[in-house]
Amino acid sequence: MRTKERLITALALACLAVAACGTGGGQQNTSGPKHGGTLNVAIGIDPDTLDPAAQTTTTASQIVDMMAETLVTIDTKGALKPLLATKWEPSSDGLSWVFTLRQNIKFSDGTPFNAQAVKFSIDRLLSPSTFRAQPGILGGKTGIDHVDAVDDSHVKFTLKTPLAPFAAALSQTQAAIISPASVNVAPNKPTQIFQPVGTGPYKFGERLAGDHITMTINKDYWGTKPNYDSQIYKVVPEAASREALVKSGGADVMVLPPANDIPALQSDSSLKVILGPSDRTIQIIINTVDTTQPLLQKPEVRQALNYAVDKTAIISKVMFGAAVPLDAPMSKSLFGYCPVGSSYNYDPAKAKSMLAAAGASGMSVKLVSPTGRYVQDIQVSNAVAGYLRDAGLKVDGPATTDWPTYLGTYVNVPPAQSRIDLSLLGWAPPYLDAQQQFEQFYSARVPPNGLETSYYKNPQVDALIEKANAGTDPAQRQKDYCTAAKTVWNDAPWIFLYNQRFPFVTTAKISNVVGLPNEKFVTTWASPA
Amino acid sequence: MITYVVRRLLVAIPTLVGVATVVFSLLRLLPGDPAVVIAGPQATAADVNRIRHQLGLTQPIWQQYLGFMGRLAHGDLGISIRTGASVLEEIFARAPFTAVLAFTSLLIAITIGVTAGVIASTRRNTGTDLGISGGAVFGASMPTYWLGLMLIIVFAVHLRVLPAAGSDRGPISLVLPAITLALFSTGLIARQTRSAMLEVLGQDFVRTARAKGAARTAVLIRHALRNALLPIVTVIGLQFGTLLGGAVLTESIFGWPGVGRLLVDSIGSRDYPVVQGVVLLLSVSFIAINLITDLMYAYIDPRIRYS
Repeated sequence: MRTKERLITALALACLAVAACGTGGGQQNTSGPKHGGTLNVAIGIDPDTLDPAAQTTTTASQIVDMMAETLVTIDTKGALKPLLATKWEPSSDGLSWVFTLRQNIKFSDGTPFNAQAVKFSIDRLLSPSTFRAQPGILGGKTGIDHVDAVDDSHVKFTLKTPLAPFAAALSQTQAAIISPASVNVAPNKPTQIFQPVGTGPYKFGERLAGDHITMTINKDYWGTKPNYDSQIYKVVPEAASREALVKSGGADVMVLPPANDIPALQSDSSLKVILGPSDRTIQIIINTVDTTQPLLQKPEVRQALNYAVDKTAIISKVMFGAAVPLDAPMSKSLFGYCPVGSSYNYDPAKAKSMLAAAGASGMSVKLVSPTGRYVQDIQVSNAVAGYLRDAGLKVDGPATTDWPTYLGTYVNVPPAQSRIDLSLLGWAPPYLDAQQQFEQFYSARVPPNGLETSYYKNPQVDALIEKANAGTDPAQRQKDYCTAAKTVWNDAPWIFLYNQRFPFVTTAKISNVVGLPNEKFVTTWASPA
Repeated sequence: MITYVVRRLLVAIPTLVGVATVVFSLLRLLPGDPAVVIAGPQATAADVNRIRHQLGLTQPIWQQYLGFMGRLAHGDLGISIRTGASVLEEIFARAPFTAVLAFTSLLIAITIGVTAGVIASTRRNTGTDLGISGGAVFGASMPTYWLGLMLIIVFAVHLRVLPAAGSDRGPISLVLPAITLALFSTGLIARQTRSAMLEVLGQDFVRTARAKGAARTAVLIRHALRNALLPIVTVIGLQFGTLLGGAVLTESIFGWPGVGRLLVDSIGSRDYPVVQGVVLLLSVSFIAINLITDLMYAYIDPRIRYS
């Protein structure tokens, strides 16, 4: 009898313990403070560098953005808005721009922010001695010629050739303004920055390579103060582990959940799935000049391939809704976007008859795809291969490689050396102007001078792009890009698939994590709900 | 003995030169240009060339090779292409994490594996033996990836007793990755221990020990296990290599900041100097472990003499 009683007591205690454990983490913290505390964010990659000038990935850029600010930035729709500059004006010839700077601001190390600091930071971006600097469009033969500090609060940029979206280009993290004094404070060197010091709402705290980056609040921030005293970005490369971390309370925000878990996460009331906007288009690039595949040089064959693929089904079944269909060769958030009318709606019968009319029935094509570079990339390529086979094509592939091999073997390859017909690629303009999207249709950007891997060349399109890129009248630029987009759409150098969205997840306790159209998910102003 | 160790260490030098040469060549044979990878999609050809120049990739291959070997002789592994920090710094920041993970796993594997193997051998062909042997096969054949995620789901998501990923909660962060990594080796060590013990248990000296009335555990540990140790130690030595390799996957699943993940990230960005450095470090560990294993033989079996 006694042992039985003991057993029951023990069981009851065990039940209690399990119950306590089970509910402990799940309880809603309703009386949480509005300020203070730490926000934990799980990201997928270990940022290569925090040097603003050397940025190439959005995740790392987003972290740098919290510490170092740019002159201008974008809102959630992608429109430009002031940040460290209050206004800006191009000269009538478009060759110089004057920016008026915000006054009475200090960097987080106490150095005053002024025109000299802007000149210093941009000069550093353009300097060939800055390690791995990425000036892109701001540098080179067509970019900035020189920067002048007119007075404390005015900076003048002189360009080598007019660039209409110049202000937008300055919204990129590479053009962030850093404290000139900070580059001589170890571990920073003038050629390389490990701990950026800017004017941002957060300051660099600490970093354990491969593990986490901690940022602490900048109490002297000039703008709205953030809610959290610190934010920790944790590096967890495996998507399923990130998901477990958020579900178990180890993180408040996670980037890129496993795509096939999106529906289940959406039905979990303790979480919020946000399909953030993105300006990334995903497409199958068609090699339009391959002499061994003369059929692919015919626009009607390329159009037929577009009709052969069911984009809507791919979006719902393979992308789990994390994409929107394209009705132009660019995403809707770009300046210069206009819907071009006829969308290539799935029509297998039409595809087959067009292929037959062009003598392309049963033609063979080679398809390649990266794996793990874009959301569901290889899965989408497999679906595309299936649709093309349904249309009667013999599809060899999709073969896949790791990203550096892909880039070196299939993407950054001059036309004469290209060995493939179809390749999946994503393209995300770093700032929201059609000029950046048209790098994909501008024949001057054929590798090695860019990544225009369709090798598409249409002199009319080239002329319109050049005119619009340099134009000073926004309405005229819009019109020119629109005309060029229509031609590109009809010439179909791509199988236009979709505009990807950028999924991230927060717990229901967190609000105000905002996705921007450049695939950044801004946690800076996050607050406990 | 000391002459033997010195000789082994001298032999290690040409081995490491060979390893360095092979890694250097293999990396250059891989398609993919680090400058293009780093420069990103929006870079101009001028950007790529400037970066290539900064990274010293414009020199002819033989010059790059001589430069690499020359610096290596001075203990300089160069600068990471990906992060711009010194390779030694990168590796030393991460190596302790892998070392802690691998040694903890090895400790778990030895403790559980040897114990289970001894128990199974004494209860040959019973339910216990079947259970242990079955468990050993299960452990040795479970994919790390699947097992790791299952453990995370059970212990982090449902029971909430252990962290799902990361290294920020002290020793408690180590529990799941160490168990995941240990399972394969535990299975293998248990199987090896069982068969080695079975062989020894049937021999005359064990029967003699029993006959003279030695205690059961004394017979098992002092007489039988001691004599069965040679093949077990060999397997354990080999397992250390497997653990370092397995750490690559385990570290990715659990977001553990060790050299395994550093290696993956570095290969993914064609960070030649870091890959070279990590592979050399792993080779040095292998050579060291092999040497220690060999020296252990002499300790375990006094008949073995090195000269």
